[in-house]
Amino acid sequence: MKRLRFNFAPYLLILPSFIYLAVFFAWPMVRSLQLAFVRDSPILPVLSEPEEKADVVGHLEMQVEVAVVDRVKRDEVLPNGRTRPIYWFKIAGETESGEPVEGWVHQKNLFIKSRTESDTARVVSGEGAKEWTLDYVERMINDYRFREALQTTLLLIVLILPIQFVLAITMALVLQSQLRGNSIFLYIYAIPLGISDLAAGLVWVTIFTQRGYLNTLLQQLGLIDQPYVFLSAENQHWMIVAIVLAEVWRATSIVMVIVVSGLQAIPREYLEAGELFGASLWQRLRHITLPLLKPSLQVALILRTILAFQVFAVVVAITGGRVLTVLAYETYRWYDPGDSGFNNPNMAAAYAGFIMLISLAFAVFYLRTVRTQEEAARE
Amino acid sequence: MTTRALDPVQRRAIRQRQLRRAGVYALAILIALWILLPIWLIGTMAFSTRDDVYSFPKQIAPIPFTTDTMQFFIDQPGIIDGTRNSILVAMITLAMSTTIAAPAGYAISRYFFVGRDAFRLGILAVRAFPIVILAVPLAVTFIEWGMFDKVYSVALMHTALTLPTTILVVSSVFASVPREFEEAAKVFGCNAYQAFMRVVLPLVMPGIAASAIFTFVMSWNEVFAATLLTIRNRTLPALILYQLNKSSLQFQYAGGFFMLVPSLIFIFFIRRYLFNMWGQITK
Repeated sequence: MKRLRFNFAPYLLILPSFIYLAVFFAWPMVRSLQLAFVRDSPILPVLSEPEEKADVVGHLEMQVEVAVVDRVKRDEVLPNGRTRPIYWFKIAGETESGEPVEGWVHQKNLFIKSRTESDTARVVSGEGAKEWTLDYVERMINDYRFREALQTTLLLIVLILPIQFVLAITMALVLQSQLRGNSIFLYIYAIPLGISDLAAGLVWVTIFTQRGYLNTLLQQLGLIDQPYVFLSAENQHWMIVAIVLAEVWRATSIVMVIVVSGLQAIPREYLEAGELFGASLWQRLRHITLPLLKPSLQVALILRTILAFQVFAVVVAITGGRVLTVLAYETYRWYDPGDSGFNNPNMAAAYAGFIMLISLAFAVFYLRTVRTQEEAARE
Repeated sequence: MTTRALDPVQRRAIRQRQLRRAGVYALAILIALWILLPIWLIGTMAFSTRDDVYSFPKQIAPIPFTTDTMQFFIDQPGIIDGTRNSILVAMITLAMSTTIAAPAGYAISRYFFVGRDAFRLGILAVRAFPIVILAVPLAVTFIEWGMFDKVYSVALMHTALTLPTTILVVSSVFASVPREFEEAAKVFGCNAYQAFMRVVLPLVMPGIAASAIFTFVMSWNEVFAATLLTIRNRTLPALILYQLNKSSLQFQYAGGFFMLVPSLIFIFFIRRYLFNMWGQITK
């Protein structure tokens, strides 16, 4: 029975994860763009009769001053059976484009001093209407904290990544040299993989805080008399140092694991051949190991850069989030409905969108540069 | 060592090799200290008395040893609930992520089908995406759906976060079991289901358990989305982050150490599988 049949099994197997990622990944992405670029701008429909179901004769913008030309009192029946008086107003005003509109609106849509006497009113509510806008993006770019956040985030990336890669490659080479007790070293080097950014930040607070270990050490060495305040608004560079150390401490293990996997894929013969021809350790590293590690390093670089754009809890733990700000913290601050936040999901989505954009740009940039180097080598 | 006298060149070569070996050892120990020392220091603080936490200069070992500071942290309002929420979220995430990812991982490692590479690439891309981007729109959507501030909504979010990694890990675990094993089982009279249950499953169980543990750790550690998605039902990291500015040093040290402990334990159990997990993303 050799009949070519379409096999549904693999599709059924990947279906659940596909659906899950569509609902909880793809959809939020779309929603994010919606939040960042679409504004709910309410407009008030003006009706031909003082009834909910009457025809719409025109629309008015919010905050437009209108003249009240007529009014009727109606009784509205409440759910508990009682009635209360409500007014409908006949108003005359102008639309945004300057056309005159006259018709009836419910009292709830107007701000009016006296329902029985005033002859002017202001439009204060209406129905939702959606429109495209760049307002949120403009507001974000013009916010001075945006520039600060972007600068700090980029500075951290520039400082952290090189240290991290040198350290990770060193760790990987140490593990690769198969010392006695290798599995213990592996365990210790892997511990930070499981440590959260918040915990890592707090760990380094114990060191950099005023009555902390760094000051203790400096005093024991006789370098200072009084504890030095590292983490204060005047010492932002020390805060940067603390964040860099905390991030290098926490997030180097992931690079190390990727590099070790890459090293394991390099055939031993290459290195042995190098040794045979008298290449020194450094020469072997420079001309055999590193070039062959390039794909691994590229993956690690992309991953680490994208993650570095999200640096958040470490910064909050060390700086309190107020003195130094980063992109992810701004996202959080704009979203946060609590007392320190602005409760503005649209702005938060604009920030999130920006982080996505800049991460993608860096990923593409890395992929491009490495490819052109390879192409150049081929020619 | 042989008793035969070595000529000077050989002797120098051996000495050089020994020196280099010692150098590598020193380096290995230095790096290990770099990782362990900060953990030791926060641990010292977490088990020191209140006076020692605030004293200067600092001691480098918790003498006198006391659990008062940890007790103080645990007694703070919301910590027990937060810990319970965190464990609950991590358990739900672990269960959902593993259940949904296992079939997909199996499909990727065992079948060749149209769209397989596209799916794999998609998963790789999704894996790299920041939680910061996802958390804002999901929080807004959850409010609209009436699912805001719930333990399970944080778990749904964390599952979206961990699912891609879990799929890749599970597929590499399945790929490490040769197809021939399954075929051999069939030759000896098993049907496909039996072959899977009796031969493949026992072999992949440790790897899948390791991946599940890692999922647990990722969820336990996640703070940004949890902070955005909850107000009253905060997970432990979200709670600690939220109270950070108004909290004492005791709270911060004990809290930091408390969050760190599970990773010390769990990473120990899964250390052998780490390269399985991350290695393949370079291929």
